[in-house]
Amino acid sequence: MRKIRPWKMMLAVTMIMSLLSACGGPAKEAGAPSAPKGNTENNSAAGETAPDPLGKYPETVVVTEVLGYNPPEDPRTPSGITPDQNAYLRDLKEMMNIEVKYKWTVPSAQYEQKFSLAMASGDLPDVIEVDQKNYEKLKKQGMLADLTEAYAIYASPDLKSYMESDGGFAMKRFSEDGKQLGIPAFEDPFLSTQILWIRQDWLKNLGLEAPKTMDELEKVALAFTNNDPDQNGKNDTYGLALQKNLFFWGFDVRGFFNGFGAYPSVGDNQSAWIKGSDGKLIPGLIQPEVKTGLGKLQQWYKDGIIDKEFALKDENKAVEDLISGKVGISYGEWWYPNWPLNSSVDKDPKADWIAIQLPGVDGPAKSLVPKIRSNKIFVVNKKAKNPEAAVKMLNFYIEVGKKEFKDKNRAEEGYVYNWFNPRIANPVDIDTIYMEVNKALDANQTEIDINDANYKTVADTFKATQDYLANDTSNATKGINWGLYYSRAAKDGGWGLTKKIKETDQFVYNEYYGLPTPTIVEKGGQLDKLMQESFTKIIMGASLDEFDKFVDSWNALGGKQIIDEVNEWYNTEAEK
Amino acid sequence: MKSLKKEMPLHIMLIPGVIVTLIYAYGPMVGLVMAFQQFEPLSGFFKSDFVGWDNFNYVFHLPDFKQVLWNTLIIAISKMVLSLLVPLILALLLNELTKKWFAGFIQSAIFLPFFLSWTVLGGVIIELFSLSGPINGLIASMGFEPIMFMLDNSWFRGIIIGSDVWKGMGYNMIIMLAAITGINATLYEAAEVDGAGKWKQMLHITLPGISPIIILLAVLGLGGILNAGFEQILMMYNPTVYEGADIIDTFVYRLGMFSQQFGPAAAVGLFKSVISLFMVSVTYYAAYKFNNYRIF
Amino acid sequence: MLHKQSLSRKLFIVFNVLFLTSITLLGIIPFVHLLSISLSSNTAAMAGEVKLWPVDFTWDAYVYLGEKVEFFRSLVVSVERVVLGSAVNMLLIFITAFPLSKSNDQFRFRTVYVWIFAVTMFFGGGLIPTYIIVKDTGLLDSIWALILPGALNVWNMVLMLNFFRSIPKELDEAATIDGAGHWRVLWQIYLPISLPSIATIGLFTIVGHWNAWFDGILYLNSPDKYPLQTYLSTLIMSLNAQMSSMSVEQLKVMENLSEKTIRMAQIFMGALPIMVVYPFLQKYFVKGMTVGSVKE
Repeated sequence: MRKIRPWKMMLAVTMIMSLLSACGGPAKEAGAPSAPKGNTENNSAAGETAPDPLGKYPETVVVTEVLGYNPPEDPRTPSGITPDQNAYLRDLKEMMNIEVKYKWTVPSAQYEQKFSLAMASGDLPDVIEVDQKNYEKLKKQGMLADLTEAYAIYASPDLKSYMESDGGFAMKRFSEDGKQLGIPAFEDPFLSTQILWIRQDWLKNLGLEAPKTMDELEKVALAFTNNDPDQNGKNDTYGLALQKNLFFWGFDVRGFFNGFGAYPSVGDNQSAWIKGSDGKLIPGLIQPEVKTGLGKLQQWYKDGIIDKEFALKDENKAVEDLISGKVGISYGEWWYPNWPLNSSVDKDPKADWIAIQLPGVDGPAKSLVPKIRSNKIFVVNKKAKNPEAAVKMLNFYIEVGKKEFKDKNRAEEGYVYNWFNPRIANPVDIDTIYMEVNKALDANQTEIDINDANYKTVADTFKATQDYLANDTSNATKGINWGLYYSRAAKDGGWGLTKKIKETDQFVYNEYYGLPTPTIVEKGGQLDKLMQESFTKIIMGASLDEFDKFVDSWNALGGKQIIDEVNEWYNTEAEK
Repeated sequence: MKSLKKEMPLHIMLIPGVIVTLIYAYGPMVGLVMAFQQFEPLSGFFKSDFVGWDNFNYVFHLPDFKQVLWNTLIIAISKMVLSLLVPLILALLLNELTKKWFAGFIQSAIFLPFFLSWTVLGGVIIELFSLSGPINGLIASMGFEPIMFMLDNSWFRGIIIGSDVWKGMGYNMIIMLAAITGINATLYEAAEVDGAGKWKQMLHITLPGISPIIILLAVLGLGGILNAGFEQILMMYNPTVYEGADIIDTFVYRLGMFSQQFGPAAAVGLFKSVISLFMVSVTYYAAYKFNNYRIF
Repeated sequence: MLHKQSLSRKLFIVFNVLFLTSITLLGIIPFVHLLSISLSSNTAAMAGEVKLWPVDFTWDAYVYLGEKVEFFRSLVVSVERVVLGSAVNMLLIFITAFPLSKSNDQFRFRTVYVWIFAVTMFFGGGLIPTYIIVKDTGLLDSIWALILPGALNVWNMVLMLNFFRSIPKELDEAATIDGAGHWRVLWQIYLPISLPSIATIGLFTIVGHWNAWFDGILYLNSPDKYPLQTYLSTLIMSLNAQMSSMSVEQLKVMENLSEKTIRMAQIFMGALPIMVVYPFLQKYFVKGMTVGSVKE
């Protein structure tokens, strides 16, 4: 960082201020923050007497940040805009007198690398978005500010309600000795629930029912492979979509194994951990049920249900097959209709995807679910002058999610919400959408009647749902409308089914939610290679006994230590 | 003293290059200490714990290290040899073309793949060799069984090597062509007068004429003896071919899967540097001794 | 030159043309593939139906690209970088290679310098220390961060050095007898005579600067300063493969990545300028050759 001379800084600030007042105009007044003006004066007059979560600082507070960003989501965003031109920053300045300065911004794929460099060169910003790993590192070095007080005093009721939505579980995970060191952005862990996506129109063509058991699924998959389900007279389809990472974030076989009561992984390249009969945690990866599952996959591979070259395919290739109508079944999460199934529907309007609970050995099976779903924590540098500014910024973002702002803060005006940090979305966002949209649908409303921070997401889904049901494609394609509707709002859709699974207890928890243990860090890469290699080879026809060899090697190469470390953690640190 | 004065301009010419090199190439070499540290970015080079040779021990004793080293050597050496031979043959063939525009066109086309990254090319090559790809189409039309090239250890290495040579062949070819154009044209005329055929001319004029460049490329190529092409293999490999295609760099990449391991990665880097320097020094002196030629 | 051509020679020429043409096709195929995808409808591209000919032909991707400020902004940065960077590189290569191409008798400290440079070809400190040096020398976030750290490419310098060596000694000596100093010999004799090698190495330098993307990510602090390839790399990148679940936000990223035709159009357009420059440089290869033969 080059040093900026004070007078230059002053000049810059005054210039920005004058610019703001020049172009701000009356339009801004209309969307004035709900913090009453009087309050601001109180603050400056009486000091800290009445802290207002949305209040304005009497003097500009400069907060430095770094940002890993993705392209703006809305195609209407002005072309060429950069993160420091984000209109939200302008509004933040106006509402709270907080000025954000980016030390750097980088595409999110490179964030981690760039962040290591920043750590190594001792150049950390005031407010930082970290993952669990870096959270632990910064914590160990004593570089995190205590946010307990700032949170208690300044957190808005909305922010507090978000943090309490899981009973304070996530918050507790990021506090140490009674000090709140980070504020986590988390989501409902049930979003990770595995379900099965299947083409209803193909089932109909073949006169089949949606499968409930593994055997039925096998029959369906075989028929999809051999009996020309798309009735185009060509033998060009197969059963189950799969790409080379067996445990991934989609188009993988986590759900398949769950069907056998096997819980090898939550998809993070590590084992999942389930409670054994003796109360200890055991690694799902090496249990005998996994062998059963592998045996079945091997047979499916032989029968052509799985692509002969699945081990070559990455997720993009698997998605190509789904969209082009080559494959009719895929294991995955609630969001598939949103992407990529929407494209499948746009490609072939007859495509009719439905979600069903995982078929199991004898009846629907339980899905593995993590205990916590958070990999984004906001922390404040100990050296930062105004740690409470971070909390206020969180308040700000939630506040501007309300209707009166959302209608005004359109993408074409340069509002890019996904560039604003720190930003925490409602952890129960998806359920709110589901409930509100269905409420409005059931009551035949034309408008949703909610006006809080969830307004935008609910309104978007509601609009898409209406368009879909009315067959209106003037705003978006059929696939996109259907995708939003069927993933979030439909009662039998992605979230609808997931919610049912959650409410009827059809799940098993992955009990381990700590960081990778020292042995995982050291040996995990090798163990993962061993697993990928053995499992892939077994599926492609190697002897099933390879699995026993795999278990032995896994234990010998560090698995044993990992089991001990995980149980040590379970006994001392886990919230039971 | 006189000669020093005479050499003075030569020293002056070297000043900018030396300064840049000292700052931006030697400066960062402080970082080599990482190989002997349990490096933590937050602590930096001076406060991270020193662990002696632990990082080296850790990497060299990982279960697959031998296999990985072997794969690296095989792939790297094959690539090295072929990326000398193929461009050489191409350059010689191209030199025989009489129509200059045609030669120029072909030269450009051969250089083209060099412009694309493996991220883009990897996918194209996988598609080319897949069961539904054109190559298997050809095989099937001739009545043979299709081959899963990319999932077969006996084919995969070949494809890695072949596609790398294909992507990079334009580069060395241009260097060789440039060397050929530098050959004194009168030599060919004299040979023509002596009645030497094209083949003889190639053997006795062209090849010796560009041999210094070939030696240079070969010696410098040896410096890459442990570089088997990280980006390419990462893009193209899959679990079934780990056995034959997992190389040092992909191996180290995986070590950092759960937490970036700076120490071991630096240790491997240092190991590779020392080996390269050794290989190049030996061949450098060998070339000097047997051919009386200093490559630099 | 107008000998009657033997049958075997004729056969060889036919074979040669055929062979080189097929190699050419191999080089062009990936580009045709990219171009076809970029000219197809997105659904067809997403379904993987496009091979070597567009499906549902449309210009949409290019129309969209034409309105994309980011693309043109980074194109300008790239051009700036290539011009500035190549100029600095070539100058440094030129004045560094010259003294090192002297024999040890002419320049007694030659070997010392050579090894100072050569070692940097094998040893590097790695990302973090390099970053710290770049930061401490105040280059961070400026275009010089992309130019100065690599201002002297040792590999290319060694190539140049070897080309210099093939320049006949007599020229050098004659000039020296005429009383010309090293600088004059460099500019008035070496420069004109080594045009083909300058064109060759210049090509590598230009391509190197054009294709480099990672240093942009490391050293530049905001995306509006990115050169084209750095910007393009942000489009190709898929999500972190280690991810276990997709959040609603990441889902949106995947949706965006689905605009395959636009990505391919950008990649194609990103390679185009440099492909256009190439034949232009190629002219010099030939021109340089004639200069060389005249001098003899």
